Amino acid sequence: MTRRSVVLLGGPDSGKTNFMGRLWSALDARKGALVAVGQPDDIRFVLDTADHLFQGHFAPRTEVKDGRRDFEITVAPFAGGAEADIVIPDVHGEMWRNVVVSSEIPAEWMNELQSADGALLFVRVGSDLNVRPLDWVVSRALLQKVGSEEDQAKLPTQVMLCEMLRFLELSLKMRPDGTSPRLSLVVAAWDAVDAGKFAQGPVAYIKREYPMLAGKLADMQTLDVKVFGLSIVGGDLTTDAAFRAEYLEAGMDGHGWIATQDANGEWQKNPDLTLPVAWVVGF
Amino acid sequence: MSAACNLEGCTVADTQRCALEKDPATCPNRVTAVRLMQGGAGERPSTSDRADLGAPVLDAPAENPAFPRSTTLGTAAIDDMMSGKYVTVVGILGYPESGKTACLASLYLLASNDRLTGWSFADSYSLMAFEEISRGARRWNGGELPDQMTVHTEMADDRQPGFLHLRLRREADGRCIDLALPDLPGEWTKDLVATSRADRFEFLKAADVLWVVVDGRTLQKVDLRQGLITRLGQLAGRLRVMLGDSLPRLLLAITHRDHIEIPAPILERIRAELWKHEVVATVIPVAPFSDHDNFKPGFGLVDLINESAEQQLRTSQFWPVTEPEENERAYLAHRRSQ
Repeated sequence: MTRRSVVLLGGPDSGKTNFMGRLWSALDARKGALVAVGQPDDIRFVLDTADHLFQGHFAPRTEVKDGRRDFEITVAPFAGGAEADIVIPDVHGEMWRNVVVSSEIPAEWMNELQSADGALLFVRVGSDLNVRPLDWVVSRALLQKVGSEEDQAKLPTQVMLCEMLRFLELSLKMRPDGTSPRLSLVVAAWDAVDAGKFAQGPVAYIKREYPMLAGKLADMQTLDVKVFGLSIVGGDLTTDAAFRAEYLEAGMDGHGWIATQDANGEWQKNPDLTLPVAWVVGF
Repeated sequence: MSAACNLEGCTVADTQRCALEKDPATCPNRVTAVRLMQGGAGERPSTSDRADLGAPVLDAPAENPAFPRSTTLGTAAIDDMMSGKYVTVVGILGYPESGKTACLASLYLLASNDRLTGWSFADSYSLMAFEEISRGARRWNGGELPDQMTVHTEMADDRQPGFLHLRLRREADGRCIDLALPDLPGEWTKDLVATSRADRFEFLKAADVLWVVVDGRTLQKVDLRQGLITRLGQLAGRLRVMLGDSLPRLLLAITHRDHIEIPAPILERIRAELWKHEVVATVIPVAPFSDHDNFKPGFGLVDLINESAEQQLRTSQFWPVTEPEENERAYLAHRRSQ
């Protein structure tokens, strides 16, 4: 059996951990492109994370003290055939931020990147920790009022994401079949956008919110990138009381979707939450 | 094994006599000191164990692996890049505080906000360096605009220029241009003009275009204007001597357009001064940062990019059609001349 490793990257509060909890549940449901084969030996991490979702809350941000948490599971395509052990390590986003600022990475994570088959990069719609680039064209007066020492030192989110992409370009190896390593760019909390923005798709969202990231993605030669929109439960558990009540009543199965582009170029909701990982693993 | 003792005043190391009249081999003060020095191994090693004397006392701290930093690039990195693709090298010159770094920071901020009309950001190998120079624009003095939006440029290496790399995609046709933009201290230009110190400007021989940045406020001041125009002429002379006939296109970026519009007669005087050294310049008024609503911050920078990219991205006909003329058929003419 082959061993596949998929690295999860993203800044703090970008939705990595919540996706892990939901992914396990989706793999275990055995209805998606990728299905779990058997039950993993150690499911403490994903079970703890899923517990928050079961109770109608999003899992809180991963703390620095939590350190690295790996999720290992044997998967196979829905149609059967080759099986693979996939390892998805999760770590707090602050570590990735520090890597970008210092360019230094702990040796174990460098090894992880160099042996990975692909990666998932997360951004989240409406994250409080999103740092916009300085825009003195429209917000000069505002900047004069609120510009604080702390704000000045912050690294814009799009710069951090561009640097993460550069690190992936430098470290990911070619796939066994000689093709470029794959990257799923996941825009989390995609249920939070209105119908118009949903129709335009996450690529247009990235171009609008993170123009540098969009430019770099368009210029990317060494990575095969696919963009997905993600809603882990299909609604907002924090502010939408009616949705939360319905969700708790019906349970997590059947909730949540991935936004993918169909053959006509239209963005559709697909209930298969394993798609971003399935594409990276690429059986 | 060291003969030292941690009891203050004990001279056992020199006299072999314990100050407390104890056996030096068993005295707890000395044994503890030795243990500490040996990392807790309490046993007294034999003379042969002294072989590691002089070895580092502490283990070297484990270093984390690192990715190449995306700070300013050296000339070697630019050479490497040029071996794989066409890179437009821009020579940026100007006196201290003329606005060179402000132009670079403003250009980066325009690209990062997708406000560089007709162009979009494609990539940069020196993203963190751009972040660093633009961070000056985030520093506000208690709610007031700072006098200078960027910090004064200082070089770690006083002999080698540091380059910023920016790849832009032209929206009209999707073609990309790689710009190598040096962020140099104004003192280098000052030294070039005053003392002909040209060794640090060797890279200009590979430049596709030159930007000479001039402070518009100085040109406006009647008592400073003449000196500046003269210096510009002298700079043109230095460039002509250094680069000869291969002097690339020269763009004269006059800053603070939001405050000042330079009158045509003054521009004419500048042109005349440059022409003394047979140098022609295209004048481009710019406002990297602006206080006036009529001029958006970054005014004119897209013109600098358009003018700089024009030569490289000019569409040339790969196989031009030439109509044969009866009397110019060289082969037949050759036979006829035999």
